[in-house]
Amino acid sequence: MEITVKKIGESEKEYIEIGCHRKDERVDEIVRFIRSREGILKGTKEDRQYNIPLPDILYIEAVDEKTFIYLQNDCYESGRRLYEFEGVLISRNFARISKSVIVNLMKIDSIRPSLNGRFSCVLTNGEQVIISRKYVPDIKERLKGGSV
Amino acid sequence: MKEHLQTQLAGFFISVTLITAAMFILGLFFQPDLRFGYEAFAYPLIYGVIGSVPGLLMYSKKELTLKQTLIREFIQMSLIIVLIITFMFGRFKNIPELIPQIIGVSVSIVIIYVLVHFFGWLMDLKTAKVMTEDLKRFQQKASGGSE
Repeated sequence: MEITVKKIGESEKEYIEIGCHRKDERVDEIVRFIRSREGILKGTKEDRQYNIPLPDILYIEAVDEKTFIYLQNDCYESGRRLYEFEGVLISRNFARISKSVIVNLMKIDSIRPSLNGRFSCVLTNGEQVIISRKYVPDIKERLKGGSV
Repeated sequence: MKEHLQTQLAGFFISVTLITAAMFILGLFFQPDLRFGYEAFAYPLIYGVIGSVPGLLMYSKKELTLKQTLIREFIQMSLIIVLIITFMFGRFKNIPELIPQIIGVSVSIVIIYVLVHFFGWLMDLKTAKVMTEDLKRFQQKASGGSE
C-alpha cells in the first residue's frame, strides 16, 4: 500500500483520503483510528465498553443521575457526570445548552424559536434539543466568534 | 432572571401598544361619544403594568416542559383577566349591565395575550435566524474552511 503525505497551505482544510478497492473492515479500522485522534469518550452499551469519537457525538444528556451519549443512531451510557464532560468538551466545539444537555455545535443543523424565550437546536438526525433561556446569551456569544 | 426581565419588558411595551389599539376599537364600539382628559394616556400604561404582574410573580428558575408552560400561560392569562376586570369594573354596582363590556374586555385581553406571545415569537424567529447564520460560520471556521 502506497502512503502519500502532502503539505498543503494554511488556508486549506486538512484532509485524509483513502484510495481502496472496497470499503472493508481494514479501511473501517483505519477510519476509526484517525477519528480517535480527534478525541474519544468511553461509553457502555449492553455491558460492553466502546470508544466513541467526539465528532460522532450529537449530544450528551443527564437523566436521573445517569449520563447518556447520543450518536446519529445510537446511545451509550457513561459513568461520568455532565459537569465533568463540560470541562473537557468546552474547547472541542461542544456547548452546554441547558441544565441537562451538552451539544456538539458541529451537529446542529439549525436553530428555531421555542416557547417561553427558549430556542431549540435541530440536529443533523432531525432530533431537537432545547436551549434554555439561561444559556441563550452564552450560545449567541460563542457562535458570534467566541472560542472555536 | 435577567433574561426573564428582558422578556417581560418587551412584553410590556408590546402590550401597551396593543392595549391602546384595543381601547380605541372597544371605545368606538361601546361608547363612541365618550370624551377623556389627559389621564386616558395613562390607562394603557397602567393596564400594561397590571398585565406584567402575574408574569413577574410567577417566575420560576425551573425549566418547564411544554405542557407545564402551556398550563402556566393559561393561569397567567386568567389572572390578568381577573386583575384588569377588577381594576376596571370593581367600583361599579350595576355589574349585570356591564356584562357585554366585561366580555369585550376579556376577549380583548385574550387576543392581546396571544398577540404579545406571537410578536415575541417573531422576534425570537429573527434571533434564531441570526444564530443559525452565526452557527454556519462557526462550523465552517471550526472545520478549517475559509469564509
